[in-house]
Amino acid sequence: MTVLERVKLYLLNLHFYIFFILLSGTVIPTLTLFVIILRPISSRRGTMKRFRRAINWYGKIIMAIPFPFIRVRYEDEGKDDRDKPYIFVCNHRSASDAFLIGVLPNELVQIVNVWPFRIPVLGLYAKFSGYLNIKRMPPEQFRQKAMQLLDDGVSIVFFPEGTRSTTGQIGAFHGAAFRLALESRVPVVPICISGSENIPPKGSSLLRAGTIRFRRLPAIVWNEYKDLTAFAFKNRVRIIIEHELRIMENKA
Amino acid sequence: MTEQEIIDKTNKVFEESFEIEKERLVPSAHIFTDLGLDSLDVVDLVVALQNSFGVKIRNEEKVRDIRTLQDIYQFISSVKNEEDKKSI
Repeated sequence: MTVLERVKLYLLNLHFYIFFILLSGTVIPTLTLFVIILRPISSRRGTMKRFRRAINWYGKIIMAIPFPFIRVRYEDEGKDDRDKPYIFVCNHRSASDAFLIGVLPNELVQIVNVWPFRIPVLGLYAKFSGYLNIKRMPPEQFRQKAMQLLDDGVSIVFFPEGTRSTTGQIGAFHGAAFRLALESRVPVVPICISGSENIPPKGSSLLRAGTIRFRRLPAIVWNEYKDLTAFAFKNRVRIIIEHELRIMENKA
Repeated sequence: MTEQEIIDKTNKVFEESFEIEKERLVPSAHIFTDLGLDSLDVVDLVVALQNSFGVKIRNEEKVRDIRTLQDIYQFISSVKNEEDKKSI
């Protein structure tokens, strides 16, 4: 890396983190206030819906800070109903993937590991929003809570690799998303995220310039997967995502 | 039922229900590390084996001890023998 490139990298990150802190310090209280003001005149369900949509907006705003050095392209090939629940299944390369999810127009809850709950302020919001910690929850409790969310019309986002991939290769999938789909009969939507691997790379906080492509594929409906075991289903979806990523990255 | 029939039928369960390629189905294959199943997939496996062999699998301790395909062949063989003895 040349000196000029290094300077550009530090300026980009200085710009991002200053605005990240400033915007988080204003957007989070504003959105919270908005939800609190409307709370007395709306049901708990309505409040949660607004709160989750506010989190989507926060994610969108954060990902817009480094524009035009970092661009996000949302490609919707599904055109599904935004008011119906879906199970979204995404590949995972970067910590920014959790913010990118905000581009989806649906009311969402993410299935996360232990560490997102430990982030100051954001961890509290994740907890209040009903994000599920799959590592700390017995399978039966997880199943009940996830089924309740889907019954309420809330979509659930899974990163079934369980951790960020550092090789660019997609890792083995865990089966929880697919068992939940088989039980709930909710459509499964594969999501391909390409270009986020350096924004920031695993083990670093420095964002690199680039374009992130977020491609939402058509939903796989109950009739298409009802005869599969969770194991076979997860491997089919993994192949779909892997194939699509190759096309997106011109490796097919 | 011969030993070879048990092997063929068990492998067919893995091929059809789990879509695992025939070449990977060797007796020493570890069902978790080599074939990629997890503990909850074992529940689906037990159901598929029950349907395929027409047996009831109840002994949870023995199921928990299963690690390789060879363990499954032996387990099915023992379940079949017990059922045959009961029916005599």
